[in-house]
Amino acid sequence: MNAFMRTLAFGLTAAIAGPALAEFPEKPVTLIAPFNAGGGTDLLLRGFQEPFAAALGGNAVVTNMAGGSGTVAASHLAGLKPDGYTLGYLSITVSTIQPQIKNVPYDKESWTPICSVAASPTLFYVRSDSEYNSLEDVKGAAEANPNALIFGSSGPGAITHLTMVAAMNGLGIMDNVKHLPHKGSGPAMKSMAGGIIQFFGDTEVMMSRYDLKPLAVFADQRLPSLPDVPTATEAGIKAPLNELYLWGGLFAPAGLDDAVTAKLAAACDEAVKSDAFQEFAGKTGTVINYRGPEDFDAFFRQQWDANKTLIEAAGL
Amino acid sequence: MLEAIPAALALLLTPQGIATLVLGTALGIVLGAMPGIGSTVAVALVLPFTLTMEQAPAIILLLAIYAGSVYGGSISAILINTPGTPAGAATVLDGTPMARAGRAGEALGWATIASVIGGLSSAVLLLMAAPQLAAFALRFGPIETFALICLGLTCIVTVSKGSVIKGLVAGALGIFLSSVGGDPITGEVRFTFDQYQLIAGFNLLAVVIGIFAFSEILIRIADGADGGGNKVEFDGLVLPKFAAWKGRLAGLVKSTLIGCGVGVLPGTGSATAAFISYAEAKRSSPRGESFGKGEPDGIIAAESANNAVTGGALVPTLALGIPGDVITAVMLATFTLHGITPGVRLMEDNPTLMAAIFLGFFLINLLLLPLGMVVSKISAPILRIREPLMLGAIGVLCVLGVYYVRGNPFDLLVMFGAGVAGFFLRRADYPMAPLIIGMVLGPAFELSLRQGLILTDGSILAFVSGHPISAVLLALTALVLLWPVARRILLK
Repeated sequence: MNAFMRTLAFGLTAAIAGPALAEFPEKPVTLIAPFNAGGGTDLLLRGFQEPFAAALGGNAVVTNMAGGSGTVAASHLAGLKPDGYTLGYLSITVSTIQPQIKNVPYDKESWTPICSVAASPTLFYVRSDSEYNSLEDVKGAAEANPNALIFGSSGPGAITHLTMVAAMNGLGIMDNVKHLPHKGSGPAMKSMAGGIIQFFGDTEVMMSRYDLKPLAVFADQRLPSLPDVPTATEAGIKAPLNELYLWGGLFAPAGLDDAVTAKLAAACDEAVKSDAFQEFAGKTGTVINYRGPEDFDAFFRQQWDANKTLIEAAGL
Repeated sequence: MLEAIPAALALLLTPQGIATLVLGTALGIVLGAMPGIGSTVAVALVLPFTLTMEQAPAIILLLAIYAGSVYGGSISAILINTPGTPAGAATVLDGTPMARAGRAGEALGWATIASVIGGLSSAVLLLMAAPQLAAFALRFGPIETFALICLGLTCIVTVSKGSVIKGLVAGALGIFLSSVGGDPITGEVRFTFDQYQLIAGFNLLAVVIGIFAFSEILIRIADGADGGGNKVEFDGLVLPKFAAWKGRLAGLVKSTLIGCGVGVLPGTGSATAAFISYAEAKRSSPRGESFGKGEPDGIIAAESANNAVTGGALVPTLALGIPGDVITAVMLATFTLHGITPGVRLMEDNPTLMAAIFLGFFLINLLLLPLGMVVSKISAPILRIREPLMLGAIGVLCVLGVYYVRGNPFDLLVMFGAGVAGFFLRRADYPMAPLIIGMVLGPAFELSLRQGLILTDGSILAFVSGHPISAVLLALTALVLLWPVARRILLK
């Protein structure tokens, strides 16, 4: 192809793509929260909606489509035309765990990842008045009393479940402890306060709400807010079980136009940096973590494969 | 708590505070009275507005909508035989026959007074004993919950009008419907036939609206040919005379306590309370024989219990940060947006706000009486709208409400399907209340049983031996089920 042809081709492409891009968005962009109104994801999206719409130079509306641990909304989204007007906020569990343990009509190839928004490391918790002060104590107790200690979760395949699976497998005591699933973190915290379960894994937000003592954090380094809590690696848990983040971001159905993706991602970046969203994040304990389309795509695929280990270990 | 009351009053008795209380409660009643718009939808509708309000008014508004809509559900349950919420399904049992007998105003009067007393008592209980009650709720583990639900399931027998066999069939159908979707312990999906929408299971509200409201529309249309239909005469609410309460107060107190109790223990909710209370009233009331034919005692039992749940459900919500039902879960989530951390330290850290919530809740329940009278008076002419128009309007509201809850068009199919199924089942004299009980209690029944079996390593006997509360509840269940048989043998 000579220089003239290249210029011509470029010019033609620009002529075709140009107006389409300039006009996007022509109508409001719908952001689907795969959970009920009033839940954590819903509130995050509602805090995100205004700065995102402003950055996009258009309108954005949040709709809820709840059910099946987020898989109903994700299944619906995966079947839509990739026009950039409908996006979903999918978490680690909705996008990488649920499709590998349930029969749902979407998988690793169903998406155009747009941007990641948040990523909070998980922690290993016991009750604040618990006799356990380290994972070593936990390991010792579980080995001394097989089948007596119980860890809870907010549901099978939830981040709370995976955190405990990572910990118990990492410590080599998975067969010595029992798993008691609950319907949501609230009921699990009731079991914790009532002494029915001894261990629970969740993000840092839980600590401010309930009487919990963190024994380890599943992150690459200690948290600035909890300098005395060792990382899982320091507590003797080896990769790939030593790090676990509850992350989430915007996804469009696979095959979204690159220019539209770039425009959405730029708006997402700006929205995440906005004062309004920073303030929201501060109030709700959301750990902001922006990744652009390419980074997020690579991260999502790496997580999909990495989480296979956890799924197998959990026996799901 | 008590010492923070003066500061809390100052927070509430502002023009904005009073406006929020009055308008919020009225709006809650209106939304609750619309068939299809239950408490959950009502709260979801006002949620976006609360985000821009200040702390106290925002939470008071949510509370007002919550309590108002639970009461409002009784208006549609009585006047047009369509409960707006699962909790209203028990009110239909006696409310509708009474209304059809030309005593709609009276029926609504009983429902209103019962609701107010149920709600007020639960508010007082909340104010006085929230921490102690919350501590008791903590002793209720999966095994105790399972025993309580077993007792709840016995209501199926009591509310089965006509044939107990048909009631049991309907109840079993309800439990089966509740098992569709994700397995609560393993996460596998069941009975979905590769329809991803079914992963989430059948939506309870869609089924309730289908079975009661939509099938009612079908029945009216089918009856229309022979000019039938029961026009309800109604010209505003008629308060029951003081003397008429004679012999009914004990039942009222008992139902209120049942409502508070069920509300405090997370995981069941107002529909359960209404049915348990109704069944208990039917068993113990001297007028038990006339239950289901328009007996005020039945309305009192259902309405005082389901309103008492609202206060009860706030106990674990505020004292432990653990939501008692879907609506209190939404309330907890909005706390965070207003810079309040929900959780065990909620009451300690925000004494003034908590006192304002308790007081506000008390005032909201007081307001139910005057506002209920006003709303029902204003809505009386609506009942005189020609039947085809009315049925059309009910149909539209049902569709909107059901769609709004989960934003899933599939739920509309479920509603239509349930409506058609309900039409045939009702024509064949299958009672529908047991089906709702089965669907409400089914998920908690399964979850608590299987959680319990994990705890006891598979031993069902350990449910009785190591757990006194559970043993008592299970013994009560057996007693309730065997009592009619025993009585017959003893009488011979």
